Amino acid sequence: MQTSVLEIKNLELFRQEQLLLSLNEQVNGGEILTIMGPSGSGKSSLLNWLTGTLANEFHATGEVLLNNQNVSNLPAHLRHIGVLYQDALLFSHLTVAGNIEFAMPKCDKKLRKQKVEQALEQVGLAGMAERHPDNLSGGQQARVALLRMLLSEPKAILLDEPFSKLDTQLRVDTRKLVFDLIREHKLPAIMVTHDHSDAEAAQGKIITLQSQGH
Amino acid sequence: MSMTPNIKPDLFTRIVKFSPRFLLALLILPVLGGLISVLLPAFGWAPALSQYSFNLQGFSELWLTPGIGKMVILSIVTGLVSTLLAFVITLMILASFFNSPWLNRIQHLLSPILVIPHAAAAIAVGFLIAPSGMFSRLLSPWLTGWELAPNGMFPHDPYGISIILGLTLKELPFLLLMALGVLAQPELGKKLRQQHKVALNLGYCPMTAFFKVVLPSLYPLLKLPTLAVLAYASANVEMPLILGPNTPPTLAVAIMHWFSDVDLNLRIKASAGALLQLLVTGGLLALWVGGEKTIKHFFSHLLTNGEREYGGVFWQKLTGLITALVIGFIILALIGLVMWSVAGFWRFPAAMPDQFVLSHFQNAMMQMSEPLFNSLVIGVITTALAIILALLCLEAEQLTGKNVSRFISLVIYLPLLVPSIAFLFGLVWLQQLINNQATFTHVVFTHLLFVLPYVFLSLTSSYRRLDPRFAHVAASLGTTPGNVFLKVKLPQLFAPILIAAALGLAISFGQYLPTLLAGGGRISTITTEAVTLANGASRRTSAVYAIIQMALPLIGFILAWILPKYFFKSARR
Repeated sequence: MQTSVLEIKNLELFRQEQLLLSLNEQVNGGEILTIMGPSGSGKSSLLNWLTGTLANEFHATGEVLLNNQNVSNLPAHLRHIGVLYQDALLFSHLTVAGNIEFAMPKCDKKLRKQKVEQALEQVGLAGMAERHPDNLSGGQQARVALLRMLLSEPKAILLDEPFSKLDTQLRVDTRKLVFDLIREHKLPAIMVTHDHSDAEAAQGKIITLQSQGH
Repeated sequence: MSMTPNIKPDLFTRIVKFSPRFLLALLILPVLGGLISVLLPAFGWAPALSQYSFNLQGFSELWLTPGIGKMVILSIVTGLVSTLLAFVITLMILASFFNSPWLNRIQHLLSPILVIPHAAAAIAVGFLIAPSGMFSRLLSPWLTGWELAPNGMFPHDPYGISIILGLTLKELPFLLLMALGVLAQPELGKKLRQQHKVALNLGYCPMTAFFKVVLPSLYPLLKLPTLAVLAYASANVEMPLILGPNTPPTLAVAIMHWFSDVDLNLRIKASAGALLQLLVTGGLLALWVGGEKTIKHFFSHLLTNGEREYGGVFWQKLTGLITALVIGFIILALIGLVMWSVAGFWRFPAAMPDQFVLSHFQNAMMQMSEPLFNSLVIGVITTALAIILALLCLEAEQLTGKNVSRFISLVIYLPLLVPSIAFLFGLVWLQQLINNQATFTHVVFTHLLFVLPYVFLSLTSSYRRLDPRFAHVAASLGTTPGNVFLKVKLPQLFAPILIAAALGLAISFGQYLPTLLAGGGRISTITTEAVTLANGASRRTSAVYAIIQMALPLIGFILAWILPKYFFKSARR
């Protein structure tokens, strides 16, 4: 498997005319860059800028490079950047398997089913394929959301406080699973979090943003 | 205040708890009673005509009517095509502009259309497409070479194209606003927007993301309004009366003519026709639901096939074009209407009248006082009754702690799903049986059937969004349930109640058939006058009536928008 590299070049992010943050970073495959900081410091806007969904009141200069390719001007759906949110956001009109198949690239139907089964087994959800996502526990939903994101074959991963809604033990287990899979797939990842234990567990560089007081 | 604990619920609570049953009776009994009173004459049993035997004579007369097949086909085609067009364009607009600031702009542009009565919309569309209408004026003579108004087939074309155009333009804003209403629900709307974003992150083009992720959750909530549109489109009389052909007309229009004919024997045939109309509309509703099930069955595997792009850019451009056309059509129709109402001499290919005069307004106003008065009084009484009843039912929800049953939510739509042409005649017959003199009361009661559903639906979401803790706090301070309702809840709901009132007034103002029938032709409103004038009187007078028809509901909505800024300010959200 080829390793990807995510680069942020000369980013300057503004709310109206106020500079929120400037950033110059390179994240290699399997590394997790952690961004911390109080609310309003621009953490979520940074993720939105990376995915191409920056809200109107913000603007930014700078480039995102994925494997040396500039994706800054591509619309969200062509960037191949996967995101894990704090809610699992599973589609309630599809089954567990349906949610994952939805994310997979187009290929043979049988092969897709097989891959889904394998993936579910890998995260301890064997036999859950035909279950309805609303009937799963919070931890199980988080794992399905993780599989859905990984099987879409992203080139980079963003984690938007992904564990903040899980209780302590579940948090530790889910975090380990997510980080292990990120390293196994050698994907560059950026995580936004409030939690210091998340930051330590990521074992990567930690950037703390300053509050932009009003 | 009495010191003894009062175990028995107070009067207010008892009234409130009884109100949902009253609402059910009020909606079901007239519709069912009306239907039965139409069914019996259809099979020959008509005491008013001294016929007491059951036979199929009405049906054989109906069968022998020249052009009956064409009438049925015209009703089916105009109803189905206009609903399909409105539905598909609604989905395309939603899919193309989901999460774009344009969705709000389109909503603002189209929402005033919602309050325009069907008759006024039909008149405006008729002016647009007539041989000497705005279209041919704008294209003549430079493109068409016409120096004189040509003999065109629009409106009144035999294929029902004009009807389809009128219905589509009128129903599109309704469906779009219903869908946007669903998306404005705090929890569901947020969830759907987030899931749409997830799909984008997974590489789905925005349009595909809408159809594969948002629509499956949105459609179930859009289904009843869509069916109501289909039922209306297949059985209404205003649009085909003003825009449709005469030889033969749609089935609903033909039935109306038979019922109001001086030859009372035609009533048997009319009743049989009403039954046929029920079958036509019922068949269309079944076809729609069946089509939906078929699509679900055969295409649901496409949801998870991984295909992310179905030529989204092309569809997006097409949608932009269609949206611009629709908005352009509507604006042009309105401009044409206003110009006709103030036009002096207006030579054919000229795009503007030679001079502008106010005499049409002055002349019309002199004859308008009675219809205007009737419209207002009927509208205000009907709307007040509808709001009181809707509020009591919603309060019953909160007192009993559970939402109204699925059954009630379905019954609310009953007067919108059963073709009014099919049950109104029976209802009127029943009303005359009870009291022949109280025509005004009859009209108010009949309007209530059509106003109540809209008022109830409009109030529901705001009422359910009320934070129950306010009521708990007030109750813990010793406030009676009645006072909690009057002094705590209603002031917080001031703005939504005004919106519901404006909507109720707009619906009541726009009623044609119910006013005509329940009033026995003796009570004239702006709308009945406008429809009568549309097919005979001068275009200028007709334009004036259509404008007044539009102005009335608009004034209501403007008031509903302004008043909350001055009263109960703290309750504004």
